[in-house]
Amino acid sequence: MSHLLEVNDLAVEFATYGGNVKAVRSVSFHVDEGETLAIVGESGCGKSVTVQSLMGIIPMPPGKITGGSARLKDKEILGLPPREANRFRGVEIGMIFQDPMTSLNPTMTIGDQIAETLRVHRGISRQTAFKRAIELLEKTRIPEAQKRARQYPFEFSGGMLQRAMIAQSLACNPSILIADEPTTALDVTIQAQILELMMELQRTENMSIILITHDLAIVARMATRVAVMYAGQIVETGTVDEIFYQSAHPYTAGLRQAMPSNVGDKNKQLTPILGSPPDLFDPPKGCGYCARCPQAMNVCLSRLPPAMAVGDNDSEHTARCWLQHPDAPDTQAVYQPGKQHAG
Amino acid sequence: MLVYTLKRLLAGVITVWFIATATFFAMHSVPGDPLMNDKAVTEEIRANLERKYGLDRPLHEQYFVFMGNMLKGDFGISFTQQNRQVNDIIRDHFPVSATLGVLAITFAALGGILWGALTAIYRNRLPDIIIMFLVILGISVPSFVFAALGQLALVNLNSLLGYSLLPVAGWGTIWHMLVPSLVLGLGTMALLTRLMRSSMLEVVNEDYIKTARAKGLSPMRIFFRHQLRNAILPVITVLGPQIAAITTGGFVVELVFAIPGLGRYFVQAVQQLDYTVIMGTTVFYGAFLVLMVILVDILYGFIDPRVRIES
Repeated sequence: MSHLLEVNDLAVEFATYGGNVKAVRSVSFHVDEGETLAIVGESGCGKSVTVQSLMGIIPMPPGKITGGSARLKDKEILGLPPREANRFRGVEIGMIFQDPMTSLNPTMTIGDQIAETLRVHRGISRQTAFKRAIELLEKTRIPEAQKRARQYPFEFSGGMLQRAMIAQSLACNPSILIADEPTTALDVTIQAQILELMMELQRTENMSIILITHDLAIVARMATRVAVMYAGQIVETGTVDEIFYQSAHPYTAGLRQAMPSNVGDKNKQLTPILGSPPDLFDPPKGCGYCARCPQAMNVCLSRLPPAMAVGDNDSEHTARCWLQHPDAPDTQAVYQPGKQHAG
Repeated sequence: MLVYTLKRLLAGVITVWFIATATFFAMHSVPGDPLMNDKAVTEEIRANLERKYGLDRPLHEQYFVFMGNMLKGDFGISFTQQNRQVNDIIRDHFPVSATLGVLAITFAALGGILWGALTAIYRNRLPDIIIMFLVILGISVPSFVFAALGQLALVNLNSLLGYSLLPVAGWGTIWHMLVPSLVLGLGTMALLTRLMRSSMLEVVNEDYIKTARAKGLSPMRIFFRHQLRNAILPVITVLGPQIAAITTGGFVVELVFAIPGLGRYFVQAVQQLDYTVIMGTTVFYGAFLVLMVILVDILYGFIDPRVRIES
């Protein structure tokens, strides 16, 4: 079966005064219909750049997609001429951003901004588009949508603006919604409401979501599958349960230990991951996590681990870690299904 | 919006009153008086004239008489130009200055926005470098230099062509207005270009431009509907004071191009201490500028909803 969106070996670089930053290095993932893929990782690991280069909205130059492919419904979407690229942006893929307060044009009414997407892509009249915009605002549970559509962004609260952003991204019934840290700028209660709304709309509109976040609690709640990114690469990918309960990469295991939890021992100390990510001007030859990894071996220093299946070869649970190699030593630190103490 | 406009108008009236009062007392504190210019008047004639014009009365009384007349719209008769009402002077010569000023500010605004947008699009490439070099020139060279150079260029052009393509000086047709208003607006155009450039570059990096691109809008649409409108805001803010700068700065250009504008009378009146003309022209200019600033503010309200609704 072919996937809704399939990304293979995507590589993105940024030309800066200091040299070329290899922000995304050979990233591959896929998204199926109706599922939520969460991309997690710390700041600067390339999450946003990955999805923004799919949308073709990284500034070029200095950005440059140096390799790879991305196929949406079996159609290549990387490197399209601008006119054709605009036919899937906002139509097939909708996108919402981190800070709703600055993501809408301050001098246009909310309704006009939503209607604009419809008018450009559907070629419908101003009035029809505006009516449709009001319906979309209602769908995202904005009270008094009729009145709100005529207001400007500065008259909205942050949570309401994010709802309006969602309404705008849904305008053309996209098959994928990319949400780039959609709740980072919102407070916790509003955060919960927005996530609730996204899950509900996902069911009713039957769309897939690519959710970018660094909040593992949100991942646990929303995601079907997870891709963990580190230093411009996906280091581990699998279902939510696999990622949380069978972490196969030391980085994923480290993230889990650094995450607070309200079950179990309340006095348990959180274990931070020491050190900082490698310099992407000149990425290490071996594994990017090597310098911070408690389980690092000699091979990690010199050879980049490929994405290896965890357990049997058909498994979609993969990790870029030499510990998953058949010849690797046993360790308690990560999940190694082939070894004695597995499980 | 109505309340906002009324508030601004009220503030404007107070400003004009303040200008009138300040000018009145400043003017009277300058040594000498309008009668000084006449050839040796005898004590008696001087006393008679002072009585006739009310100059013998205490200053505060003169002030109230002046204010009373001003409210009636009467600025009196000129001391130095025989039998000429100040109102007539303004009526005859202000339209000329205003036409020149409006043309100049139009040139400046259109040019500033156009060049500014261009430099932002071609950032750090040849068109940007050339325009920004000219901008520095435009800001640092005073308008009388440009006026003289512009006139010289016209003379050379006409003599090269062998006939008069554009008149070198004078007033009357649209052809007379082109070069003077361009010269007058040049400094402001340069300033607005710089402002527009930095404003455009700031807006390009805004999140909502990214949103617009993610919506699949064409670059043209993004440029006009999302970028330009937001980038113009700071430019409009400075337009009010710049109108003031252009109108008052028009005097030099009027002089060089022999344009019968109000500026000449304004300066002459100050030199000759022609009390009534000084007051008339100053108050009139003041009121005009205040009105322009208010108009710009109202215009700003139309473009930026935040100003319109919050007030």
